[in-house]
Amino acid sequence: MTQAVLKMPEIPKRKTIKVNYPFIFLLLPGLVVFLLFTVYPIVKLLVMSFFDWQIGFGQKSVFVGLKNYLQVIKDPICRKAISNTLIYALVTVPSQIVIGLGVAVLIHSIKRFKITFRVLYYLPVITSWVIAALVFKYIFNNEGFLNYVLTDLLRLTENYIPWLDRPATGLFVAQLLGIWKGIGWNMVVFLAALQGVPPELYEAASIDGSGKIKQFFYITLPMIKNTILFALVMLSIGAFNVFTSIQLMTGGKPAHQTEVALTWMYYKAFEARDFGYAAALSYILAMIITLITIMLFKYFPKDHAQRIGKLT
Amino acid sequence: MLKKAFVVKVVWLGLLVVALGAAFGVAAKEQVTISFWHHYNAQSPENEILTKVLIPSFEKQYPHIKVKAVPHEWDQLHKKILVSTSSNQLPDVARADIAWVPEFQKLNILVPLNKEMADFQTVAQDLLDGPMATARVKGDYYGLALNTNTKILFYNKSLFDSAGVSVPKTLDEFFAVARKLSKRTGRPVWGYAEPALAGWNICPFIWSNGGEITDPEYKVASGYLNSAQNVEIIQKLADLYRDGAMTGFTQGAIPLTDGYAQGRYGMILEGPWKFAELEVSYPQFEPATAPMPAGAGGSVQVLGGEDIVMFKTAQKEAAWAFMKFMTGEFAQVEMAKAGQIPVNKKALESSVVRNNKNLLPFLEAIKTARPRPPVSTWPEIDKELTYAVTLSILGEKPVQECLDEAAQKIDLLLARQ
Repeated sequence: MTQAVLKMPEIPKRKTIKVNYPFIFLLLPGLVVFLLFTVYPIVKLLVMSFFDWQIGFGQKSVFVGLKNYLQVIKDPICRKAISNTLIYALVTVPSQIVIGLGVAVLIHSIKRFKITFRVLYYLPVITSWVIAALVFKYIFNNEGFLNYVLTDLLRLTENYIPWLDRPATGLFVAQLLGIWKGIGWNMVVFLAALQGVPPELYEAASIDGSGKIKQFFYITLPMIKNTILFALVMLSIGAFNVFTSIQLMTGGKPAHQTEVALTWMYYKAFEARDFGYAAALSYILAMIITLITIMLFKYFPKDHAQRIGKLT
Repeated sequence: MLKKAFVVKVVWLGLLVVALGAAFGVAAKEQVTISFWHHYNAQSPENEILTKVLIPSFEKQYPHIKVKAVPHEWDQLHKKILVSTSSNQLPDVARADIAWVPEFQKLNILVPLNKEMADFQTVAQDLLDGPMATARVKGDYYGLALNTNTKILFYNKSLFDSAGVSVPKTLDEFFAVARKLSKRTGRPVWGYAEPALAGWNICPFIWSNGGEITDPEYKVASGYLNSAQNVEIIQKLADLYRDGAMTGFTQGAIPLTDGYAQGRYGMILEGPWKFAELEVSYPQFEPATAPMPAGAGGSVQVLGGEDIVMFKTAQKEAAWAFMKFMTGEFAQVEMAKAGQIPVNKKALESSVVRNNKNLLPFLEAIKTARPRPPVSTWPEIDKELTYAVTLSILGEKPVQECLDEAAQKIDLLLARQ
């Protein structure tokens, strides 16, 4: 019976993949590194998230099931940290895209000094996060540059404003840094996209009597929509990974009020030594990021042909 | 004959080779490098004394041992040791805050010195009993006392003079003086600055006010941490912060030494190392000191200090030699010059230490100072305490509520002993 089934000739067989040994051999170094430094930690982290993980010599880690996950979900500080992260994303992602696109459109439209402006706007991107965060910290310190300007120079207020001490303003400073540092990357990405828009479209539109603003909304935006989606996804993931700026500028203080997801994870792992909790949090975060990415792909408008139709 | 001479030559040559090989072989085998992690402050002469005086002198005494000293920030060192525990890359020796020793012992990473070192008793009897007790967990010694300390009140004399106030002797006077010194307009002045709100910073107020963190057996915090006295004293600190008379623990604050020496902070509570730090950064400035202001519980400060510990992965012989050297008279006298109070009895008797007027008020304050609860979960308890006190002082939640919640969490941590 089995033989008969196996011999059935009418199913058109796909060509079987031949094992290409030299090929695999060439892949091997990369594969080993990938397995060792990416796959293994991911799997190990998953295991850790189900344990009360111990690091001491000869100490046994105890299996606790979903306890770590429940703890993460119930933890008010963690909720605060995740909501701070969401606010960070909601503020920085659109601002970076809008400003980055604006700068790209401006640079695209000028004839001279294109490269100069591109370099200038890109500089913050290649600046180290640590240095940028420390400079921002210096500017916004109680005795910092901004307070000096506001109080001593312009005499706008009598008292120094404790920017970094208050949760809302502390997070605002971090968001500002994120936006400042992200504009350049967006500018480069959008500039490349703008160059891909056929100039005939603009010519046709201007003959039909539409102004620059209309052209931007009905030609440029629909044409670079895929790039916007790309930027949106990348920046959202980036916003969830915010760490260095917060860690250096507020350190999650005061009383964990300015904590974001990653600083809280770091704190739980390396300060509170609760590795199981931190592992569970990292998986929950990964789920949130995946969810947001899927939603972006699903609900981001795809009908740019229709919009172009509305042009006249 | 020729043949015999040849054989003799060959034998001699062979012997020579073997002897040389053995000599070099032994030398190569004995050469060891040990790593020593510490948090000696680079802002004060401590680090310089370690790297320029102590280690060279040790290496001269033990030519086959090299010491690689790695400096860390205090809180980074704790973290680094925990992370290195998980990756099994611990140093040989470390200078550990006395509050960390029970935790490290629980992690099973420290060597019980009294069991493994034959001459432990002879070494230990040269060191003070009180500080040595900080290295004892469940009857065994997991370190040697390295230095001891506590804090006293440092006040800025010119600020006091211009405000026309005298040095506070009681906690009530302390709060009143802090308010009088403060100025909110223009370049503000704060009466009192505290660099953090951890146990190290808050315990002195709690104890001096007659309160406790836990019961005497360190079994429970509920009923102790959230007592009426503690709520009262934390509320007073919160009011001080609200009135703009207290700062230092926030992110944007001026660093402690700078604020104090530049006349922006009226009072700070600090340890003996502060003199050496001020000497380096503000040589013109003259610090003035007084005992911790007393409350219902007296003038009680927190007992600090460090132990020198050996990890289980250490090269024990060399590590032990270095530990003995660091707790020996020479090293202890040298470190006293940077404000590290010796624990070696002979060093304490030396003229360098006895004539050091900066150390005297601390030697007095140590008599009434108390250690933080010596439990393995202290670093975690400390974090809960910090969180509760910070929320209270920022006025985010009522003090009683914060302390009630903290007490409950700390009960669980104490139960995990």
